[in-house]
Amino acid sequence: MIIDFLQQIFNGLVVGSIYTLIALGLTTIFGILGIAHFAHGSVAMFGGYLAFFLISTLGLGLLPSFILAMLCGALLGVVLERVAYYPVRNAPPINSFIIALGLTLIIEKTNLLAFGVDQVIIPTPFNRVFSVGGVTMPELRIYVLLTAAVLVGGMTLLIQRTWIGKAVRAVAQNRPTAALMGINVNSVSMFVFALSSALGVAAGVLIGALFAVAPGVSEGLVVKGFAVLILGGLGSIPGAIVGGMVLGVTEAFAAAFISSGYKDVISFLLMIAVLLVRPEGLMRGKAR
Amino acid sequence: MWKASAIAGLVAAAIVFPLIVTVNYFLHLAILALIFVMVAQGANIIQGYTGYVSIAQGAFMGIGAYSSALLSMRLGLPVWASMAIAPMITAVAAVIAGYPSLRVKGHYFAIVTLAMNMVVFIVLVNWISLTKGEPGLPSIPSPEPINLGFVELAFEKRRPYYYLTLTALLAVMTIVTLIVRSRIGQVLQAIRQNEVFAEAAGIACWKYKLFAFVFSASLAGLAGALYAHYMGFINPTPFSADASLNAILAVILGGSGTLTGPLVGGALTVLLPEMLRVAEVYRLIAYGLILILVVIFLPRGLVPALADLAARLRGNKSKRGAA
Repeated sequence: MIIDFLQQIFNGLVVGSIYTLIALGLTTIFGILGIAHFAHGSVAMFGGYLAFFLISTLGLGLLPSFILAMLCGALLGVVLERVAYYPVRNAPPINSFIIALGLTLIIEKTNLLAFGVDQVIIPTPFNRVFSVGGVTMPELRIYVLLTAAVLVGGMTLLIQRTWIGKAVRAVAQNRPTAALMGINVNSVSMFVFALSSALGVAAGVLIGALFAVAPGVSEGLVVKGFAVLILGGLGSIPGAIVGGMVLGVTEAFAAAFISSGYKDVISFLLMIAVLLVRPEGLMRGKAR
Repeated sequence: MWKASAIAGLVAAAIVFPLIVTVNYFLHLAILALIFVMVAQGANIIQGYTGYVSIAQGAFMGIGAYSSALLSMRLGLPVWASMAIAPMITAVAAVIAGYPSLRVKGHYFAIVTLAMNMVVFIVLVNWISLTKGEPGLPSIPSPEPINLGFVELAFEKRRPYYYLTLTALLAVMTIVTLIVRSRIGQVLQAIRQNEVFAEAAGIACWKYKLFAFVFSASLAGLAGALYAHYMGFINPTPFSADASLNAILAVILGGSGTLTGPLVGGALTVLLPEMLRVAEVYRLIAYGLILILVVIFLPRGLVPALADLAARLRGNKSKRGAA
């Protein structure tokens, strides 16, 4: 029983770490621009497909493909911000949401056109399975968890410790004042989109290696991302980390002990419950 | 005067349409467009007038469709009765969903309703003993025929069903117009403009918001029932979050917070993907592009933009806002 319990916690943390990656991008974009970037899931799936293409067709190694896909993702993010979101930056928020829906359609169908309708699994050489005190830990899952941890750590350092990170936080706090202090708000927006999309692509690649990249995955993924934001509080990085883990573990428990068909229902109900009891998220103090 | 004749012309055109256009496929699209306009009009109440973007219209459409179909098939109720009860069941579901979720605002509300849509979808897929899951419910009966003396309306045929949906839509449009013009409509728009201020003026906003949410859901429920008995077959697919997103697009495209906007927007969201049927995949990309372009260049929607244009052409630049 206790082993089952630990096993599900491990599984949940692995999946949760991917949710965290998705949510980090969403939360930063939301914090800076107030945009619910619904197309983020499709961007992630694009990354998964791209990595698969680089590995299987061009024969690149796993790590170079991963990095190259993230760079392409960053570029895509900048293009999205410039072409689609920038023109509506002063319009009501619903407009940017519609833009996001349009983008979702475009990216989703471009994925179909470019990579076909079949689901693909990114091949990895990690087939060993470890057993720690009865808990099964496939090597691949450990690497997924580690990769996610490194990326989340890197992102946190970037935001907390560097000059550009400080600029991002300043814009998130107060956009007009940040602009008055000489921060180029436009380049901060582009930077945030590049960073977030790169993280989204990373999540897509991890999903592709762990499960599969397929058409139709992205919608559920982006809603999970938003669920994490709600659990953790919009615009909060520690919130996204905790929220991702909570969501992943809840889902794993729901799938193992209640019903795998209804696991998403249970995680959404959790999100709705949190929203009603603590609308500011699990992590944020009552102050604001 | 100008407005009244325009409305009369539009209604007349809608009545004559199936007599002129006899291609079954176009009639089929017209029926779907009428049904979807109803969903869009519902979305317009909560989104356009009240300012709360709900991404759950598809789910409510599904609840309406499944409850009407199941009432007529499992309980053997007359189809007319089940089509009348289905919106009420949807309304009950909307009260349960809306009471807690309307406590939050903005993006939170949108995301919660989206999650609710996914919950309903998952239940429709997984509650196999009731809904038969993914393969769907086949052979849903058409409404019983009505004998008008000189002609019998058999609703398994397209043309009578077209008139049925048209009648339902006209009734819906009348009710919506009355609501929007009433005190309730004023309050809803006040909530959209400034909820805190409305609350401070002594209005119990939550009642009005709940009303708007439930009303919009029951319109979607009615549309769902009409859809189910028209198609004769339903599965969960058309009631996914995509349908809700389409309803939002319809409102935005046509012009949110206008009475005529959803007519145009709802019809376009059904017809546009069909008209762009050059190549199956490209059309959805084009659809996405059109959406983005409309939002960037016509942010108030097509109807207000066209109204402005018409006003300018007739030389009176003065009034004609987004009424």
